[in-house]
Amino acid sequence: MSEHHPPTPPPPTSEPALPGTALRMAGVSKRYPGTLAVDNVDLSVYAGEVHALMGENGAGKSTLMKVLAGAFSDYTGRIFVGSRLMELRSPAQAKACGIGMVYQELSLAQPVSIAENLLVGRLPARRLGWVDRPAMLAQARRCLAQVGLQHLDPLTPVEEISQHEAQLVEIAKVLNACPCILVMDEPTSALSREEVRRLFQIIRNLRKRGLAIVYISHHLPEVFQIADRVTVLRDGRKIGTHAVADVTPQSLVQMMVGQAIDEFYHTRRHAVGEPVLDARRLTRYGFFHDVSFALRRGEILGVVGLTGAGRTELARSLCGLDPLHAGGVTLAGQALPAEDYPHAVRSGLVYLSEDRKNDGLFLRLSVTRNIASAMTVPHSTLGVYMPGRDGPLAREQMGRLRIAAPSPETDVGNLSGGNQQKVLLGKWLATAPKVLVLDEPTRGVDVGAKRRIHEAVFDLADRGAGVLLISSDLPEIVGLCDRAVVMRNGRLIGEMTKDEMTEESVLLAANGQEAV
Amino acid sequence: MTRRERILGVLETAGIYGIAAVLVALGTAVSPEFLTARNLMDILNAVALLGIAATGMAFVTFSGNLADLSIPSIMAFSGIIAVAALPLGLPAALVLGVLAGLAIGAMNGLVVGRFKANPILWTLAVAFFMEGFMRFTWSNTQLYPDTRPGTSGEAFIGIFRLAVGPVPLIVVVMLGMFVLGHLVMTCTRFGRESRFVGSSRDAARTSGIRVSRVVFLNFLAAAFAASIAGIFLTSMNKLGVFYLGQGYDFRAVTAVVIGGIMLSGGRGHMMGVLGGVLVIGLLTNIMTFLGITAFRQNIITGLVFITVVGLHQFHLRARGKDYA
Repeated sequence: MSEHHPPTPPPPTSEPALPGTALRMAGVSKRYPGTLAVDNVDLSVYAGEVHALMGENGAGKSTLMKVLAGAFSDYTGRIFVGSRLMELRSPAQAKACGIGMVYQELSLAQPVSIAENLLVGRLPARRLGWVDRPAMLAQARRCLAQVGLQHLDPLTPVEEISQHEAQLVEIAKVLNACPCILVMDEPTSALSREEVRRLFQIIRNLRKRGLAIVYISHHLPEVFQIADRVTVLRDGRKIGTHAVADVTPQSLVQMMVGQAIDEFYHTRRHAVGEPVLDARRLTRYGFFHDVSFALRRGEILGVVGLTGAGRTELARSLCGLDPLHAGGVTLAGQALPAEDYPHAVRSGLVYLSEDRKNDGLFLRLSVTRNIASAMTVPHSTLGVYMPGRDGPLAREQMGRLRIAAPSPETDVGNLSGGNQQKVLLGKWLATAPKVLVLDEPTRGVDVGAKRRIHEAVFDLADRGAGVLLISSDLPEIVGLCDRAVVMRNGRLIGEMTKDEMTEESVLLAANGQEAV
Repeated sequence: MTRRERILGVLETAGIYGIAAVLVALGTAVSPEFLTARNLMDILNAVALLGIAATGMAFVTFSGNLADLSIPSIMAFSGIIAVAALPLGLPAALVLGVLAGLAIGAMNGLVVGRFKANPILWTLAVAFFMEGFMRFTWSNTQLYPDTRPGTSGEAFIGIFRLAVGPVPLIVVVMLGMFVLGHLVMTCTRFGRESRFVGSSRDAARTSGIRVSRVVFLNFLAAAFAASIAGIFLTSMNKLGVFYLGQGYDFRAVTAVVIGGIMLSGGRGHMMGVLGGVLVIGLLTNIMTFLGITAFRQNIITGLVFITVVGLHQFHLRARGKDYA
């Protein structure tokens, strides 16, 4: 491999390299067993631009960025950093080329201080390997100031700062390696709107300093706020690169899904029946207090609030997964025992976890087994399991939700995020629940899968089940819910009818403004 | 599933029997006495105790709890209790022996299942405690049954020497335990839920599975199998003492893991474990034919374990399946 600088002319490519091109990928492909995840993609990113990378789940965005991060030794195609052809066959090579990655999942060690997390691998040392504390603190403060966290004490353990701050520390850690190309994969998925605004300010500063930033997101409004150009991938192929000024949200979505979307939400309304779930004065100290509400058959009730308002905690305690210190839950006239989730599931109150990878799915088991995983009791007679009922159940849900899997026996871990989320929903639909509690049911999911999930939720409500929907996705809340309760600091502070709900009013209410 | 994956899957299950076949061929080449009914029965007889203990260990590993290191002490304890209870008659002694083992299993299951203790550390501590407890209670001595003709003690030491036709009783029990274990693992709700718990304890919990009960029953299964093995071992040695069963913890895990039940849990099946037990038996037998001494045999068994675990990790990574 030649390490010479120009004047060696760059090899001919399909696209001439413009001055200021920080990264150019030419004809990059990556094959997994059975699928071509990235198919001959060209991508150029200029220094000093924010380049959005969009596409449905499974379109190849993450794989393309993993190639860039040096995760694969067997990609094909050429990658130029600056004007030099680089081999990115290992994470170390990628790092040495100045590529920094900020992932959705944090890579910070929770009990360890911010400073040590930031400087891990290059702690300033004195002789004999002693850590030079003053130097470490000074360096850490400089890093934190870059991301607007100068108010934090670098010696604070990461577990004691908020998730939003941890996200920024993660970015600071990557910046500390002085990358020339920064890749951010869904950096805002766990952030509130105010936090997103602050993150964007930091991204704009980095852009001013000449960094090339690749920004992966499912949020259309974010792309229009922050990005200069956008590249859309579909089925592993590049559909096109456009200046953001030249596209509209509709045209972007069309490029992503390959079909037009319509406004199907507003046409749906269902008949709401008698109460099916009654929660009275629920309290879990430190998380939520004195929460009462009722849910009717056929109703979709939203729980609106900011991150940290106590919505997930409320849902988990309501179902019996977490402790409940006071109050009671009645399901279809029957009082539910506290902290007995298996009993709740059998009675028809089920909870779709917000974290499909950690406590939602069995990634190493097949689609069939995952869909049947909540049915071990009804599928057993006197302790003997009847496996014959699994197959039809799985096929029914795969058909209903259009789960794209090579076969029902494929491991769920091999599916794309959207299909994984459909499997998770299918598992609960298979139990024919009376009340379905959904916690962020479409987080990090592509447009097509989201639409399919929403249709399935509507169908379930039409068939008389009650749905409790926790979501930070405002269009989802406004589009799906018949009614919403507003939660703030662990208390219910108001209620909104369908007619009162707009994205703006819901957002104001969640922030505690007097809009309700 | 691609064709390649399906072939790999078949190889994975058939693999251990393939290794066994290779070993049989090897043994035949090493000695003309190897492939005789008598030697093959000797092999089965020699691994029967290990096989019985491994059926229980398989449940613990399968449900994602790595290993039950208290199996040797359960074996010793059930044997001692059975010998001590012989004056009450043989049936009562056997029942009490098994109950004594189950008591330890219940404690393990409760602490690991309900209070989420680390299974390795907890069962290691129990083994340590039980050794001290047995030495203290029985004053560091061996417990001999009364073996005069006509006593229950004579019947007790005869258990190991009973045979069903040409087949020793212990081999029949081992095969029976494997069939039973296979049925429990594949055909019962408990087995099905164990697979889910082994694949992801958190996901099993949010699926409405009573995880602590499933873990409890897995440790109980391990203790049940270990108690049976312990009673046979005590009968074989004609005495009960705290050190009987030593080494069965590691050898049982080896059989389980080379049989395809991975330490990460949720994968594999009981028939693979039987294959693992047979491979260990064949390997030991061939090494004996070759005149390799017991300590060197330990070295080789340890190397086999390390190789299998290493190969499996490599295999998973090659298939991109290390999302454990």
